[in-house]
Amino acid sequence: MTLQTQLVLRALLEEPAKQRYGLELCELAGLPSGTIYPILARLEQVGWVDSTWEDPAVHEEAGRPRRRFYRITKDGAEQARDALARAYRARKQPLPGWAARPVSDGGVS
Amino acid sequence: MRARRRLAARPDRRRTAAPASLDGILTLVQKHHPCADTALIRRAHDEAAVWHEGQMRRSGDPVLTHCLAVATIVADVGMPPPVICAALLHDVGDTACPPGWLGDHFGQEIAGLVSAVRAAEFGALPPGLTRELAGPACRPTDEEAVWVIRLADRLHNMRTIEFVAPAKQHRKARDTLDILEPLARAAGWSDISRELRDLSTAVLQPASTAIVTTRLLAVLTVLLPGPTRGRWREEWHAELATLRARRARTRFAFRLLLSAPRLSWTLRRPADRDRRW
Repeated sequence: MTLQTQLVLRALLEEPAKQRYGLELCELAGLPSGTIYPILARLEQVGWVDSTWEDPAVHEEAGRPRRRFYRITKDGAEQARDALARAYRARKQPLPGWAARPVSDGGVS
Repeated sequence: MRARRRLAARPDRRRTAAPASLDGILTLVQKHHPCADTALIRRAHDEAAVWHEGQMRRSGDPVLTHCLAVATIVADVGMPPPVICAALLHDVGDTACPPGWLGDHFGQEIAGLVSAVRAAEFGALPPGLTRELAGPACRPTDEEAVWVIRLADRLHNMRTIEFVAPAKQHRKARDTLDILEPLARAAGWSDISRELRDLSTAVLQPASTAIVTTRLLAVLTVLLPGPTRGRWREEWHAELATLRARRARTRFAFRLLLSAPRLSWTLRRPADRDRRW
């Protein structure tokens, strides 16, 4: 799982019940605007995220085009937490064949 | 320069420049139905003028201008005189005109069409309704005639949508783009469907965002699979509308440009739901 995908999943898991639009998620995830859509499309394809158009009453009242909102699904939230935990553990483990760096006793004071 | 861009982004308003008139309608009738008797159309026009006298539209124009515009569109697609009369009289129900008056003065056919127009909702396209219907031998069924009048009614309302409250503008534009425009296209009225699409898009995706960015988004969506293009174009336009600064919009579009090939690949790749991330 790429780092960007992890950031998007973390952003979605902050408040799993809340619907968010693309730019809002970019901001939350700390990703550059406009780069998030392939990730969201992929997550939607595998059923981790669902998306809906904004309620007409809201955007009509605001006089702007309707937004597409994303929300993590219940199943997606469980799997995303597992995947993030696995990714975290993998980062902590040394690569095969590489010994963990020994902790030096002394060190420079 | 900016003013010119804004003008360029607006849909073609030439049709609204020349107000519809009875003479214009009669010319169209002569063109499509050379042998038709136009006396009934003249009478329908005069009666509509009497009943709508003093009524104004939100634009400040007399309501009669709307009746004439609708009838002109109906005549332009080649509908026969009774349908044009029904188009001229389609709004008399909003006046002091008593319910049975229309049937007594214009016959049950026209009265039936008018009441059906007022009750009708846009559903599926009536079978057999195509552009080829027009011509001297044009004999539309009641269902087809009602559909054409409703379409013409919406087209003129969309031409004058700027005078309506913003919330209603959005609702009508969305309805037009989702339901009517595809139906008009399916029926083969490409001019009408194109105008409906331009007018609705101008409301839903206003030209306040730089036209270059808007065009870039349209080009980007070409990379995506056909059925998904509309969704992404609309979603990105909504995101662009959130960004106030021109620089931020340009940056957004540039990053979309970089990520569009990846999105295209993602959308074309079969989803593997069992994949472990």
